[in-house]
Amino acid sequence: MRNFEEQLWNYVDGTCTPQEREVIEHLIATDEAYRLKFEEIKAFNLELQDIELDAPPMAFTYNVMEQVRAEEAQKPLKSSINTMVIKGIAAFFVLTITTLVVIALANANWSAGAANQINVPIIRTSELKNLFSGNVLNGFLFFDLVLALYFFDSYLRKRKISEAV
Amino acid sequence: MQSKLSDIELIEQTLSGNQSAYADLVKRHQRFVFTLAMRFTKTREDAEEVAQDSFVKAYRSLQNFEGQSKFTTWLYSIVYTTAMTFLRKRRLDTSSIDDENNFIQVENQNTGFENNLAENKSRSYYLNKAIEQLLPDDATIITLFYKGEQSLEEIALTLGIEPNNVKVKLFRARQRLKEKLEGSLKHEVNELL
Repeated sequence: MRNFEEQLWNYVDGTCTPQEREVIEHLIATDEAYRLKFEEIKAFNLELQDIELDAPPMAFTYNVMEQVRAEEAQKPLKSSINTMVIKGIAAFFVLTITTLVVIALANANWSAGAANQINVPIIRTSELKNLFSGNVLNGFLFFDLVLALYFFDSYLRKRKISEAV
Repeated sequence: MQSKLSDIELIEQTLSGNQSAYADLVKRHQRFVFTLAMRFTKTREDAEEVAQDSFVKAYRSLQNFEGQSKFTTWLYSIVYTTAMTFLRKRRLDTSSIDDENNFIQVENQNTGFENNLAENKSRSYYLNKAIEQLLPDDATIITLFYKGEQSLEEIALTLGIEPNNVKVKLFRARQRLKEKLEGSLKHEVNELL
């Protein structure tokens, strides 16, 4: 019975092979019980095609777009900055560092000092103290802190997005 | 008024920064997505949450849509995943989602006034009630097949199963739906007598 119904459903859905189709059509034409079942399935199939869809609330699209806009606003700065700007800044720093290295190497006195003598730099604590208390160091530490926060923020955002998807 | 552009054209416009194109896509598919969400959640509030989340997730991943399948197939798979995640989270608070009895007791979401309307007591009314009583998977397959214009292969993609498996599941879902519909109609006739 189940197989017989399954065959009829396949016939109605159009998922049976041409051979099966021929056999089913023959059975519908000759077997009264088969034909009645076919009519029943066909009627039920028509009913299913008229299922009503549920309507969402009136403000549904508005709510979705609000959420989308909120997400857009929260996007990290990295994705909204033009990559050319970042590349320009990187190029500036690379150029500056290269220039400094070239100048330093050009002005170095290569003949100074004996060949078999290694000059170990002497670290004077008083000089270190001056170095660590300067405004330059504070600025450097502040820059590092901002950079660390920026990377931490982008890491958290990436993790949130991957979790959501 | 909804845009007459195709889904793909609207996606391209959205990706180039036109958010109103995405609003058109939402308007176009919201009814079906909401219905699909209802098949899982059974309440309008939860269905709204799932449908809304699905559209936002689709927006986020729009650039990953390769166009190899229909946009609707891709969108419905997002709805399916979102709904399953929602039910899994809900299951932590309640009993198993596989327990069919959880869904049998769902009451009509319409108002009492609507209940009394004679036209609601038609066969199609009972058909919709019977679908509400089905397990989410059964109700989803029937909805995707009949209202989502999805082939068995596309449904298989959405649900992540084999097309042959979809065929068997669709057959069984229709059998169960028919039984529930007949049961409801018999019950109604007995009440009238």
